[in-house]
Amino acid sequence: MNDADDLSHAPARSEPGEVGLVEPRDFVSTEPFTFDNGQSIPGFTLRYETYGRLNPSRDNAVLVCHALSGDHHCAGIHSLGDRKPGWWNNLIGPGKALDTNKFFVLCCNVIGGCQGSTGPSSIDPRTGRAYGITFPAVTIRDMVRTQKRWLDSLGVASLYAVIGGSMGGMQVLQWSIEYPAFVQRALAMATTAREGAQAIAFNEVGRQAILQDPEWNHGFYPKSGGPRVGLAIARMMAHITYLSDASMDRKFGRKAVAAHRKAVAPATPAEDVSELSMEGVDPTAPTATFDVRFEVESYLRYQGQSFINRFDANSYLYITRALDQFDLAATHGSLEKAFAEVQAATLVVGFTSDWLFPPDQNRAIALALLRAGKRVSYAELATDLGHDSFLLESPQLYDLVRGFLN
Amino acid sequence: MAKHSQIKRSVDMQIIADWVEPGARVLDLGCGRGVLLDYLAQTKKVHAVGVDLDFDKISACVRRGLTAYQGDMMALMRELPENHFDRVICSRTLEELPDPGAIIEQALRIGRTITVGFVNHGYWKNRTAAFFLGRKPRNAVYTTAWYESRPTNPASIADFEDFCALRKLKIARRAHLGGDWKTTSSLLPNLLAGYALYDLTR
Repeated sequence: MNDADDLSHAPARSEPGEVGLVEPRDFVSTEPFTFDNGQSIPGFTLRYETYGRLNPSRDNAVLVCHALSGDHHCAGIHSLGDRKPGWWNNLIGPGKALDTNKFFVLCCNVIGGCQGSTGPSSIDPRTGRAYGITFPAVTIRDMVRTQKRWLDSLGVASLYAVIGGSMGGMQVLQWSIEYPAFVQRALAMATTAREGAQAIAFNEVGRQAILQDPEWNHGFYPKSGGPRVGLAIARMMAHITYLSDASMDRKFGRKAVAAHRKAVAPATPAEDVSELSMEGVDPTAPTATFDVRFEVESYLRYQGQSFINRFDANSYLYITRALDQFDLAATHGSLEKAFAEVQAATLVVGFTSDWLFPPDQNRAIALALLRAGKRVSYAELATDLGHDSFLLESPQLYDLVRGFLN
Repeated sequence: MAKHSQIKRSVDMQIIADWVEPGARVLDLGCGRGVLLDYLAQTKKVHAVGVDLDFDKISACVRRGLTAYQGDMMALMRELPENHFDRVICSRTLEELPDPGAIIEQALRIGRTITVGFVNHGYWKNRTAAFFLGRKPRNAVYTTAWYESRPTNPASIADFEDFCALRKLKIARRAHLGGDWKTTSSLLPNLLAGYALYDLTR
């Protein structure tokens, strides 16, 4: 049992503070579900993961809600060979800000998604074929209502907290509106109660990249194929909106890819090492002009390529639509009215460099809750990492989250 | 030093707590780490909201279970309706604020009462520092030299009461503390009081 090989792996793979090996599970609802737009499906599956244990009084559950391209795998690893842990592993684990020794942490892939939950790439049991674009339009509220069915099935009596960033933050707000008595604490980061024109515009360009790809074929394409070019371009563009001018400049600057690096003496300062060089490139070759030259290009192409291997184009269309349609003020008459029934203590966190869901939109949520007479705090972290700052490894952010939860 | 200021703080905190109605909705302008609000929440069960500019201070408030808003106090008050709070507190913050008159005016729009607590710059020790030594006052209150201090906009009790008369603000209550900030002092307050507290209403 005391295998030397295992021991040598153990400290690196599952040291204290890590969730360690986790296994996704499926919740299958065989009851029909009616979407906000009135259309129904005969049943659905939500793929989920849990960490920690539900206490005997069933009130230590913390629901984590994921963003557009996220999934249920927010902490731990699936196998010892995994190179990356779940997407919020830095926040979630024994002794971490979201402490799995205290809390029963749950996260599921949203309805309309493609990581195991029912979505457009799932088979419609009524036809035996993939739903494609016959799948009903999905809203943030649909995501939340399906999650409630799942939590009920697990015997979760109330949520100690709901927490999420970006689209996850929208779900957090929707949770505290839809099930006010069920949610004790709501923590929404880098989010908005309604997207601005700029965010909608970015999503529309992404959708057009997919819709204009001939392989999209009006939403009906084989699992292995589909609008891979369009989806990759959508992802490349969206990825830029998650970063910032400063963070991209720090990471890439004008650094050139290996093939285009200027040969220099070793003593030259680092920034010169990667200066663009056209040496050895035939300037008359037809493709030379538009080859990958800068590292930022190579990075974005990599992001696009890796995305198409894990994400479904129709899911991308559905979920970006859900984001754009989300408008709590319009749905309820005003943001104050939207929050009228909220019982949860809320914490909203904005990030100074977030230009997708800027601090003002986060502040507007807090102010409306305040005007509605609710318990709400607003904090704004100074970072230059853009929208993705909420995923940042920041002791300040961890302290805030820990303080709010304890 | 930390302990010393804690003791001093506790007397003005007690006075404010005496003035606050139980269960009141209270906004603390420049709430810092939430020491005063925590005290008021515990002793008077107030519904507390703080506002401050600093992330770590908001974080400390949240850790105490208080609600706090990170941002500019004036911008926050402009976003709130009339009489949203029973009381707005501006304790040991006034002299660091630009345009304090406008802030008091806003506070009296969103709150029925404003409690203002400030260091009396007319206190004789502050006067002698300037008069005899020709120096910026350096003492337990003003601990730093001018070149490492935040900008301040000091006022005396006489200045403050003039302001209230000019703006026709009703002084509902006042308390003057001696140089030790512990005992109340009523004789020649502008000369002998180190610290002053006022409750103003419209």
